[in-house]
Amino acid sequence: MGFVAFFVARFFEISAFYLVSSGIDEIGELLTRSADAASNVSDVVSQSHTLMTLAGRQISLVTGVILNDVSGYSLAEITAGIVVCVLMRFVFVMYARRSVRRAGIGVSFDLRQKLYRSVQKQGSGFFARMGVGDIMTRAIQDISLVQRLIAFGSFMFVIMVYAPLFAISFMLAKSPSLTLLILPFVPVIFIYAKHAAGQLATTSKDVQDRLSDLSSHTQENLSGIRTVQAQAQEANEIKRFWKTNDAYATAFYAQGRINSLMMSWMPLFAAAAQLVIIIYGGNLVLAGEMSVGDLIFFMFCLTMLLQPIRMAGMFVTIVQRAAVATDRLYEIYDAEPEITDAPTHKTPRNIKGEFELRDLSYTYPGAHEPVLKDISLHISAGESLAIVGRVGSGKSTLLKQFTRMLDTHRGELFLDGHDVCDYPLAQLRVQIAQVLQDPFLFGEPLKENISYDDSQRDIELIWDSADSAALRETIEAFPLQMETMVGERGVTLSGGQKQRATLARGLIRNAPVLILDDCFSSVDTETEEHILNRLKQLRAEQTTILVSHRVSTLRHSDRIVVLEEGRIVEIGSHEELIRADGLYAELERAQTQGASSIKKDRDDTPVTT
Amino acid sequence: MIESQKNQQSKPRDYGMFDAELSGAVLNLQLLRRLFKWLSPYKWQLLASGLLVLLTSFFAVMMEVVISRVLVDYVIIGETNSTMPDMRMIELTQWVEQVFDIPAIYSAGILFFVLMILFSITGHYHRLTLISAIVAGLRDLRQDLFSHMETRPSSFYDRVPIGRIMTRVTNDVEALYEMLRGMGSLVGEFVPFFVALTIMLSTSVELTLVLLFFVPIVGVATYFFRGATREIFRIVRNTVSELNQNLQENLSGMQVVQLSQREQKNLESYTKINKSNRRYEYKSINLSTVYGAFNDSLASIGLGIIIWYGGGQVVQEQMSLGGVILFTRFMNMLFTPVVMLGEQLNVLFRAMASGERIFQALDWDEQIHEPANPVELSGRLNGKVEFRHVNFGYNAETQILKDVSVTIEAGEKLAIVGPTGSGKSTMIRLLGRFYDFERGMIFLDDIDLNDLRSSDVRLRVGVVLQDFHIFSGTILENIVLGNPDIPRSRAIEAAKTVNADGFIQRLPNGYDTELVERGANLSQGQRQLLAFARVLAADPEILILDEATASIDTETEMLIQDGLHKLMQGRTSILIAHRLQTIQEADKVLVLHHGVVKEFGTHQQLIDQKGIYHTLHELQFQDVSLDEDGRAIAKQKATDDAS
Repeated sequence: MGFVAFFVARFFEISAFYLVSSGIDEIGELLTRSADAASNVSDVVSQSHTLMTLAGRQISLVTGVILNDVSGYSLAEITAGIVVCVLMRFVFVMYARRSVRRAGIGVSFDLRQKLYRSVQKQGSGFFARMGVGDIMTRAIQDISLVQRLIAFGSFMFVIMVYAPLFAISFMLAKSPSLTLLILPFVPVIFIYAKHAAGQLATTSKDVQDRLSDLSSHTQENLSGIRTVQAQAQEANEIKRFWKTNDAYATAFYAQGRINSLMMSWMPLFAAAAQLVIIIYGGNLVLAGEMSVGDLIFFMFCLTMLLQPIRMAGMFVTIVQRAAVATDRLYEIYDAEPEITDAPTHKTPRNIKGEFELRDLSYTYPGAHEPVLKDISLHISAGESLAIVGRVGSGKSTLLKQFTRMLDTHRGELFLDGHDVCDYPLAQLRVQIAQVLQDPFLFGEPLKENISYDDSQRDIELIWDSADSAALRETIEAFPLQMETMVGERGVTLSGGQKQRATLARGLIRNAPVLILDDCFSSVDTETEEHILNRLKQLRAEQTTILVSHRVSTLRHSDRIVVLEEGRIVEIGSHEELIRADGLYAELERAQTQGASSIKKDRDDTPVTT
Repeated sequence: MIESQKNQQSKPRDYGMFDAELSGAVLNLQLLRRLFKWLSPYKWQLLASGLLVLLTSFFAVMMEVVISRVLVDYVIIGETNSTMPDMRMIELTQWVEQVFDIPAIYSAGILFFVLMILFSITGHYHRLTLISAIVAGLRDLRQDLFSHMETRPSSFYDRVPIGRIMTRVTNDVEALYEMLRGMGSLVGEFVPFFVALTIMLSTSVELTLVLLFFVPIVGVATYFFRGATREIFRIVRNTVSELNQNLQENLSGMQVVQLSQREQKNLESYTKINKSNRRYEYKSINLSTVYGAFNDSLASIGLGIIIWYGGGQVVQEQMSLGGVILFTRFMNMLFTPVVMLGEQLNVLFRAMASGERIFQALDWDEQIHEPANPVELSGRLNGKVEFRHVNFGYNAETQILKDVSVTIEAGEKLAIVGPTGSGKSTMIRLLGRFYDFERGMIFLDDIDLNDLRSSDVRLRVGVVLQDFHIFSGTILENIVLGNPDIPRSRAIEAAKTVNADGFIQRLPNGYDTELVERGANLSQGQRQLLAFARVLAADPEILILDEATASIDTETEMLIQDGLHKLMQGRTSILIAHRLQTIQEADKVLVLHHGVVKEFGTHQQLIDQKGIYHTLHELQFQDVSLDEDGRAIAKQKATDDAS
């Protein structure tokens, strides 16, 4: 519909120009008539009063435009014709622009919704590949590029097709020879426009890049201001900033220069074409083969012809960029979720929490070495199991198998006697509460953060879980208590407080299985002790699996698993493992007596300056 | 003199100012005048630009005169003796005719084209000189702003979020760029407006006045349109940033979202924002299409009036045909600046608020007091540190340190133990001269810290902060931190000494490996080792360590303890310790509680004292890692924690 409206609008626009030139002709004619001019003028004035009744004649006027014949109409009629054309154009242009731009907005709305839905289905492999920053760039820049293509690109396209079409056909009707003389300018200007748009796109990108350098430089410097000042490196940093700052200014100037050059060259090209109109057209007029009005009309048409051609360069750039953007968006839309949810509906509705691992192995996509190698383990319902191991020994990878955050292979992990892959994904994640290593809080009130899975929960329950996570006193110290906003726009919690908040988020669910991935690393031992004792009471009958580095944490569990390079190397209770005098025992010694062993060789080390 | 050095500021500063969203909806001339201070070094460029725009406008107007008066009136109609102004273009054409002996029509064509070339050249240089002055001036402003912010003291950064300063250095300066550029192009539009107006008035006063009647109509329409859309645009901007924020958060916390089965609920809240965004986008489109089409139509109606009225004038021989054509060609010169002014007003208002924020930041004169006649330090310090009856608070209400006295002899190692809020960090911040305090409290080799330049103090007191900040750049650059006095060999030597060499060598490019995104590719323990290397390379006489609380795997922990041990060799060291190993490394232990020294002595002495320290030691079986809430001590003493 928008296109049709555009077609009509263009028609009225050129009609208006046409009428203007006819008006000029009319004036010229009036000028040549000498004696009865005065009476004619009074005629014109009197006719203007009946402007409103002219509506009927307008139609014939417009037909006159089409048939290239407007002689015989008075000045007032022509003026009225202009007004009507303008009004018609107003309505159609408005409608066309509006519908096209609405389409752009509608598309970007849909693209955003689609993106949000797509990413929610993705697993960690996808996020490892994409990164949050990358997805954000796609969501912001690429969607807006597509939107621009639809809103402005199609707008431009219509102008580019119709305006020259109308301009050329009207010009041909007036003077084919002059039109043919002007046409060769079109490809020249198009080539220049395309070249300039390319240059402009390059310099604009450069400006954008330098600007983002400038932001990240500032951000980085200010985040590290204490380090900078502690090392008395302010002067140095200011000098370093100058480079970034000046690079941006240089890029900005370069862009301005290219832009300005374009603004100078374009009219020059147009002027060359205009020169042809002046000399050739002027001679035609002198020879009496063309009217003055037609000469002026040709100049109008020239503008109309060249304007879209200038735009063509920009249009090509927009299409190219939008095509790339669309590809990038479809990379997200087309990504298959790594984890397939295929419940067999033969699994129990409520799990008890008994796990059986049978030769469980896991290799990250793209990696050569498996992270977990043939792990076999039985965890009884109600047991508490602790896992310890070096960085990279596969602890977190193992924990992620239980909730299928990673794609567990069929036949390697059984829950209550059923393959975990047979359970509905939602059930696994509801009935197994997992607290992640990275204590992530949302920019919402604490209440929402703790009761994240269910915002309808009773406030008392939320306080209870905060209590179990030893967070009650901290929250009570905030003026807004449970309503305290956290995250970027709220209070900043310390590492330990964050960990305890995420712990509360896990505890509140009172799930048959609780999995804690190194959630006490920033919590002091004494508080940890308190929380662990609480856990023992709360979860006496339920399965708890946790990862930790501290012997003080590990020793509370029924059994401890020592992982080393993806394999179980030791398993047993604290006492058993101490007696076995293996890796665990060594770890225990290191943590209790490490200090004195270092003390021994204190004086052997040479002093370095 | 002494009064002025008081740590408590005489007038409490309103840090909230940095948070305030300034409305700035007024044209602040004083602000513009101040802004000109940064442009004044480039005033010759600005002047040249101003002259060039006059020339450009003159050429633009003359081109139209050549078309209408010369081509139509003189060449085609052959009328030369009209009273209508032609700015002597007809004379010029005749002269060209005679000199080159060519027909009038060619002469007019040549004249037109020459004017066009001149117009293009002067126009280009006008824009070029203008933009170079703006770019250079604002670059200098940004640099001054950055330098100013870089040298604000810690007390400032304690209170003002970095994001607020970021906005000033980036977005606010950008807004000024936009404003100055806009003002430049406004000048480029208004000069032709007045030149054209002058010629039009001398051609036909009545017709000019009729057309001028349209200017306020366009102005009023523009005013109402801008007024109506301002609020809508603001909402659109807000919804867009809400959308981004929501998505960003959802992405960062995706695992939690999935584990909590919140996908549906989050999608719903996102959809809600997305819908409201769409609604306001539609509203703004409706308004802007009406406005755009209205302006376009007005120009065409103006044309109609010229034809109708001008036609009558021609018949009465008041105007020549060329005069009428001239009017039709000047129409746009009358309307464009008014429309543009409307567009620029929003930019201007936004820039006013930005300018205010920038100058407010530049006017923020908070700084560390530097001595008028500083004591020059020659050679290496022995490293004796003395705290003498230190009383200190960040503000008048709460006192953090209460009569703290302790002397650390050269080469001695002191561990400070106590919960958060006990004043540990404050002690080391004062020693690093990050805050102002009174004379006679802290001495370095018996020299009052207030008699030393703060930069001198910081070069000699090396601080390892808990949060090790990584700058983007190579490992080596992160160790030397831009200090040209540290050669590569010394940096590598330092890394070797603190056990950082091992993991660095394993990185793809060794010391030249680029660190990205705040060191995301390094583990916690590796960052700690790198922090040690950084301090060791700087080789300060006094070492301050704020030990990281997070537990690290045992193997790395051993490397860190060993590295720390080597780092402390031959240096006076003050350690805020969380680990038993670290404390046992120290010669003396100081137990700080609520800013008061509670216990002081060797590890063994304090154990034997059976006081707070003893309890801590007993409680924490493997390592003493004190909670940030001070739970361990709070149990002992049922007093309220200051924090």
